[in-house]
Amino acid sequence: MPLRRKLADFVAFLFAGAATLFGLTWLVWILWTTVKQGAGALSLALFTQMTPPPGSSGGLLNAFYGSAVMVLLALAIGTPVGIAAGTYLAEHGRHSRLAATVSFINDILLSAPSIVIGLFVYELVVRPAGHFSGFAGALALAIILLPIVVRTTDEALRLVPNQMREAAFALGLPAWRVTSRIIYKAALSGIVTGVLLGLARIAGETAPLLFTALNNQFWSANIAQPLANVPVVIFQYAMSPYDEWHSLAWAGAFVLTIFVLGLNLVVRFFARRGSK
Amino acid sequence: MIDVMERRADEAALADEPPKIDIRGLDFFYGKTRALTGVDLAVPANAVTAIIGPSGCGKSTLLRTINRIYELYPDQRAAGAVTIDGRNILDSRHPLSALRRSVGMVFQKPTPFATTIRKNVAFALSYYERLPRRDLAERIEDALRQAALWDEVKDKLDTSALSLSGGQQQRLCIARTLAVRPEIILLDEPTSALDPISTAKVEELINELRQRFTIVIVTHNMQQAARVSQRTAFFHLGELVEAGPTSQIFTNPRVERTQDYITGRFG
Repeated sequence: MPLRRKLADFVAFLFAGAATLFGLTWLVWILWTTVKQGAGALSLALFTQMTPPPGSSGGLLNAFYGSAVMVLLALAIGTPVGIAAGTYLAEHGRHSRLAATVSFINDILLSAPSIVIGLFVYELVVRPAGHFSGFAGALALAIILLPIVVRTTDEALRLVPNQMREAAFALGLPAWRVTSRIIYKAALSGIVTGVLLGLARIAGETAPLLFTALNNQFWSANIAQPLANVPVVIFQYAMSPYDEWHSLAWAGAFVLTIFVLGLNLVVRFFARRGSK
Repeated sequence: MIDVMERRADEAALADEPPKIDIRGLDFFYGKTRALTGVDLAVPANAVTAIIGPSGCGKSTLLRTINRIYELYPDQRAAGAVTIDGRNILDSRHPLSALRRSVGMVFQKPTPFATTIRKNVAFALSYYERLPRRDLAERIEDALRQAALWDEVKDKLDTSALSLSGGQQQRLCIARTLAVRPEIILLDEPTSALDPISTAKVEELINELRQRFTIVIVTHNMQQAARVSQRTAFFHLGELVEAGPTSQIFTNPRVERTQDYITGRFG
């Protein structure tokens, strides 16, 4: 019997280890390739020059700028709406049927393919306007961000023990004050974590931007016009036959990866601070 | 012996004064489950009234009707009358904010807010009263002194309340309640999560506070009820079995069920 147990244990360990190794291999491979190809292509010009025409050198400044603008705009739209909706679900609508419905629809939105959201914004904004725009891109990203913020805010608020609410309400304070001053403070790290995770998610989104912001080879700060952005530049340059463009695509991928990696580290920090 | 006689005379005198809280025919429901049935209880002013009884007998439920905190949960419902200073506070027209300002509550588990010690005390206070900085600081000090916490925290008012010990946190919760100058304080097993030394401090505090406040304390600990209260009410299965002066309830109960409970035959 002990032998059988030992054998079973060994086999289970073997499978678990192999599965872990399988998953890790791809991750390490992707990271390694990105670092190897991307780090070599890093240069000052990357952050100071515009995307070049084929055959000449340049950088990704307009793409970095465009991505930053759209991601920040998406945050500005998605975060307040998401936090407000999450607050409704967790605090005010906790026992209502409407909240249950909203929560269900939010889950659907959460798993909606991003390309569908891109198409939706294309029909909603790009076609009526007649041209691609940075604003449409930001809107698409905001719609992807929204359900993430709603869900994580809802969950973070539900983790605040009911005794805390009772204690605050027992002082006679109105609901909005209890929520804004006490409950948000207690759930802060969870909410920030959710927003940052959402940010990491939308920073690398490509599909929805293809239909909305498209790309722009030149410097443009106008969000009503097509806007360059890192993911679409990577997509186009990687597909091209030009070596300069390939190395720029790798550099862009490297910076994007480092950015998302860094965000995840910040998230870990917040999450740990919250659990203390 | 004189002590005991005096205590009895004091306790008996309480019954003659008009009650601060007068509970009449109170029923309470959690959904369809009835938790309290026809409770009649008079709570005298400036005294400690202890609510005792086995788990699930409705002690906490009774406490939670006095400040209507149960209304946070839509399936909970109270019927009957809870009259404070002549007004039925169960009447839905009775202003909730004013009620909860005058009826403070401290819970079983310390519930400091995730902010500084100072802001914990100032939080409700600055909602009710617009005070100049100096007055606010005075009121905070005053509340912390009343809660016997000032000397321990005066040098670290701006550190997180979460860094305090459990006993200190509980006294902070009491200070937070005292800061808005309530008339009634509800204590829901305030020491059950505390160590013996902290418990002794809180009990001492309750004893001082009863000069100025009407206190209702729910406790599992019968020694505690005997130590801190002047009146005791014994609940069983959602009914008030017996209420009277504490010394009488503990030495000479009129109902057999009370006798059985305080001598430890059940509960």
